[in-house]
Amino acid sequence: MSALLSVNGYSLDYRTHRGTLRVLDNVTLEIAPGEVLGLVGESGSGKSTLAYAIMRDLPRNAREISGEISFAGEDLRRLDAPSLARLRGRRVGMVFQDPSASLNPTLTLGSQLAETISRHRGLARDAAWREGVEALARVELNAPDAIMRRYPHEVSGGEKQRVVIATAFACKPELVIFDEPTTALDVITGARILDLFRKLRAETGVAGLYISHDLALVSRIADRVAVIKSGKIVETEPADTIFAEPRAAYTRTLVDAVPRPQRRLVADRPGERKLIDLVGVSVRYGRPRLLGRQDTFGARNVSLDVKTGEILGIVGESGSGKSTLARAMTGLARFDGEIRFGGQRIAGPAEMDKSYRAAVQIVFQHPDASLNPRHRIGDILARPLALYGGAQSEIPRLLEQVRLPAYYAQRYPHQLSGGEKQRVAIARAFAARPALVICDEVTAALDVSVQASVIELLLALRRTHGTAYAFITHDLNLVRQIAHRIAVMRRSVLVDLRDADSIDAADADPYTRELIAACPVPVGEDERP
Amino acid sequence: MTELIRRLLRTPQGAVGAAILVLLLVICLFGALIAPEDPEKMNVLARFRAPDLNNWLGSDQFGRDTLSRLLVGARGTVPLALAATLLGTLSGAVIGTASAYLGGRADEAIMRSIDAVMAIPGLLLTLLVSSTLGKGSLNAMLAIAVAFAPGMARVTRSVALTVRRQDYVNAAIARGEGSAWIVLREMLPNVAAPVVIETTIRVAFAVMLFATLSFLGLGAQPPASEWGLMVSEARRFLHQAPWMIVAPGVAIALTAIGFNLLGDGLRDALNPRDER
Amino acid sequence: MSASWLLHRCLFVVYTLFLVSVVVFAITQALPADAAVTLLGENATPEALAAVREKLGLGDPMLLQYWHWLSHLLQGDFGTSMRTGQAVGPALFLALSRSLLLAACAILLMLVVAVPLGIIAALRRGGPVDLLAGLVSYLGVSLPEFVTGTLLLVLMADRLQWLPATGYVPLTDNFFDGLRHLVLPALTVSFILVAHVSRMVRSEMIDVMHSDYVRAARLRGLSKGAVLFRHALRNALLPVITIAALDIGYVLGGIIVVEEIFALPGIGRALIVAIEARDLPAIQAGALIMAGTYAVVNFAADITYALIDKRIRYD
Repeated sequence: MSALLSVNGYSLDYRTHRGTLRVLDNVTLEIAPGEVLGLVGESGSGKSTLAYAIMRDLPRNAREISGEISFAGEDLRRLDAPSLARLRGRRVGMVFQDPSASLNPTLTLGSQLAETISRHRGLARDAAWREGVEALARVELNAPDAIMRRYPHEVSGGEKQRVVIATAFACKPELVIFDEPTTALDVITGARILDLFRKLRAETGVAGLYISHDLALVSRIADRVAVIKSGKIVETEPADTIFAEPRAAYTRTLVDAVPRPQRRLVADRPGERKLIDLVGVSVRYGRPRLLGRQDTFGARNVSLDVKTGEILGIVGESGSGKSTLARAMTGLARFDGEIRFGGQRIAGPAEMDKSYRAAVQIVFQHPDASLNPRHRIGDILARPLALYGGAQSEIPRLLEQVRLPAYYAQRYPHQLSGGEKQRVAIARAFAARPALVICDEVTAALDVSVQASVIELLLALRRTHGTAYAFITHDLNLVRQIAHRIAVMRRSVLVDLRDADSIDAADADPYTRELIAACPVPVGEDERP
Repeated sequence: MTELIRRLLRTPQGAVGAAILVLLLVICLFGALIAPEDPEKMNVLARFRAPDLNNWLGSDQFGRDTLSRLLVGARGTVPLALAATLLGTLSGAVIGTASAYLGGRADEAIMRSIDAVMAIPGLLLTLLVSSTLGKGSLNAMLAIAVAFAPGMARVTRSVALTVRRQDYVNAAIARGEGSAWIVLREMLPNVAAPVVIETTIRVAFAVMLFATLSFLGLGAQPPASEWGLMVSEARRFLHQAPWMIVAPGVAIALTAIGFNLLGDGLRDALNPRDER
Repeated sequence: MSASWLLHRCLFVVYTLFLVSVVVFAITQALPADAAVTLLGENATPEALAAVREKLGLGDPMLLQYWHWLSHLLQGDFGTSMRTGQAVGPALFLALSRSLLLAACAILLMLVVAVPLGIIAALRRGGPVDLLAGLVSYLGVSLPEFVTGTLLLVLMADRLQWLPATGYVPLTDNFFDGLRHLVLPALTVSFILVAHVSRMVRSEMIDVMHSDYVRAARLRGLSKGAVLFRHALRNALLPVITIAALDIGYVLGGIIVVEEIFALPGIGRALIVAIEARDLPAIQAGALIMAGTYAVVNFAADITYALIDKRIRYD
């Protein structure tokens, strides 16, 4: 059977003022009709660029060096503009990463859906609108006619993505390209979108190119998987074997870096004594208005504790309140309730003294924003030393501890990579010799391979110093590998707090079980009954 | 600092802007020495002389050499515009940063008042202040400073608010740093860059405003050689001697362009992310 | 758009006008220097000074003076000109109407020129139109109105004699001639506006053309026209309304100078005359009317923008 999409020896350069960058290097891959090929790579690997090359939407400074791209036997590079317009949307559809950004904010969802249908299927406006309503029903949206009349900002992320998918499928394409379609969504919503994708694929037999950084996820939905690194295809294997038996070294690193709940990284037990205890903590975000207050709760009546040397995982989706807890614990937000620490009862940021602040440190999510761009690394590390007692001479040792060379003290943050900046942030936290370090989504903004090394660093530091962690994340698989206990937050309320090994027990909160079910477990590792 | 200047000169805008301004500086300092003739010397015989090889820019209704008046006039226009901007910027920046840091009701109150003052269009406000203080260059300078302060306060506040939201400020608060440290060492270095750029561009505006005030009779008074005044005086003799208007007009434009270019160049040079 | 939002905005306009009146009053009257001396000069006789002080109520405490002024204002009495002895209000409002006509012409001109210029400059970056637009922008922000106006006067009215130099002919008297007299002043005012707005349109257009939703629209196979008009232009032009409103402020300032150069009897000119003659009531009323117009126009722009952009939340 001849291939539907065929990319053969394709190379692409970008011309920048700093020189020529080889973005895609001799890429060869094929998609048969009805087949789904997964394309996995980290940021900067060129995976999205390949998608845009196929759709022929490259920036002005792109130079195609060699190779060909054909669709259903036609050489795409030779198509003229009208033929291209007939191809796009009708025979090849595309679903983008961020549905908020890929929909026009000033047009209703219905008009954007209907215009595509009208364009490709030649229907008049009314007929196109009716088709649109049906298309939305097929992607399992409730009240499709109401949604047609809404604007993008009036519906949720998951609903928007379904609209985008409906638009892509409405013209019955032969191939749909998915560029990280669930990355911008919550875990549970993302899982449901994947279910939808499987259903649509079964119904329509459409071929797909599924691009993602998540090897575990892709291995569950694709037939074959291609791994791309720095513009080169490293290996292409059937999905069920790539995880179990990766051949290339790079694939092996990717596979190893995927958090797997069964692979426990922490074997010891925590201490008995409570290090920090939150009792009925609530954080309110109020907007003072002329008549009365309108409060929303960032966290509502949360009680949890961290024992000495313990790793407490705090999981939840975005907006669940987990970061709010971090803010309360570090004195960045006022709260009701009490925090008990070291014999003290603390009712607000004003009561947090220096010993508390030294003992409770925080590492933030975005390394770009958490280091002052105008301070040198050495200055950044000197500050906690000056505040909490410590000599300047310790700086080289601090850097060494996070596996950075001592001469980095002279550098500015923008001269470091994301992973290196995060290490500096960790070094800064440990300069105070803390008893508890709050890690607020510290790996979320990093590539998968870098994530693993940061986690490993944190665990090594814990072994040396006996520090406890409050590890905030949305990645349940990761936290199951390292935490002793796990707290689950949902809509500012604590719904579950239990030992990590019993997180999937039958008596866990239904929401917890939903979260576990939604987290992608790689093919070949499935342990569910 | 030298690093900054080097990066500034690497951008085309920065280089051209800097060149124009260096030229301007030279003229301001040494204008009187370079000028071929005494700018105040009237020569009845040489009235309305058209520009030629000997007399590059011609002469005006009193026979005074236009080129000389232009060179000396730089000193009447540019330094005061610069002073007005610095005064306005400094006061505005302090108000803006304080407002951002205080937050809450104080911030609201200050900003609403600033909004109200800014509801009065710039030139109008300058005119009002000027008309009350009286004519003269110094009063014009004060008027411009007063008109600039609210705008600068708003810009500074918005920058300060963005900086305040960054995690490195949160990290400092979590460390228990004092307010003084946070404002001076964490926020200010990051607020300074955009403020400096905005200030540079405003100098261009101040130059134009100052010349406009003189044009309207409220700034420099005759027989000063201020550029705006020169255009105003030249209006009556449009027909006989159009060069009397063109020369100072071009001078004003060139100065404004110089500062605008410098501001653009600084914007690129002060952005640390461009290093890698 | 909820009623409470509308009410909130209305209150804000009223509050702004109130503060503006305080500022205007404070600047012009509440200075330590004796206003009477400022008005009549140093050589006036003591009797004359006393008469003026009496007339203006300068002996009263400042708050009382302000209250007198404000209460008269709210009843529609803008004061009596010290120069003409006539009521200040009617003359100023007439002058305002002429200025608004000029402003309207300038803005119309600006929209017709700046918007297409910005769009084409964005779509053909680096092309000749883009370079021209860049040049115009730079010149526009570097040339004060009095230079542009005077140069235009020299060129068009003096050398080429295509258009009248100065003066004003009401449109009701002679429409075509009236328009001819407005061309040069409108051109001068709109020059700066074109510079600003074309730059803004260009930059918005570039942002929008690079946005994800325009790219998505293109990759859905929509026609070039549909992508450009339905998706790109709609969103790029939205902020133009706000910018145009903000630029009214520039217009009101620039109008003062332009009316002076071209001898148009608008409110700017009236203000200059009042300042020259040290006619305090006229100065205060004129400033208040100008600032008030600006505040009202901004309010109208806010409402228009809110009607068009669905994303703004009105709570």
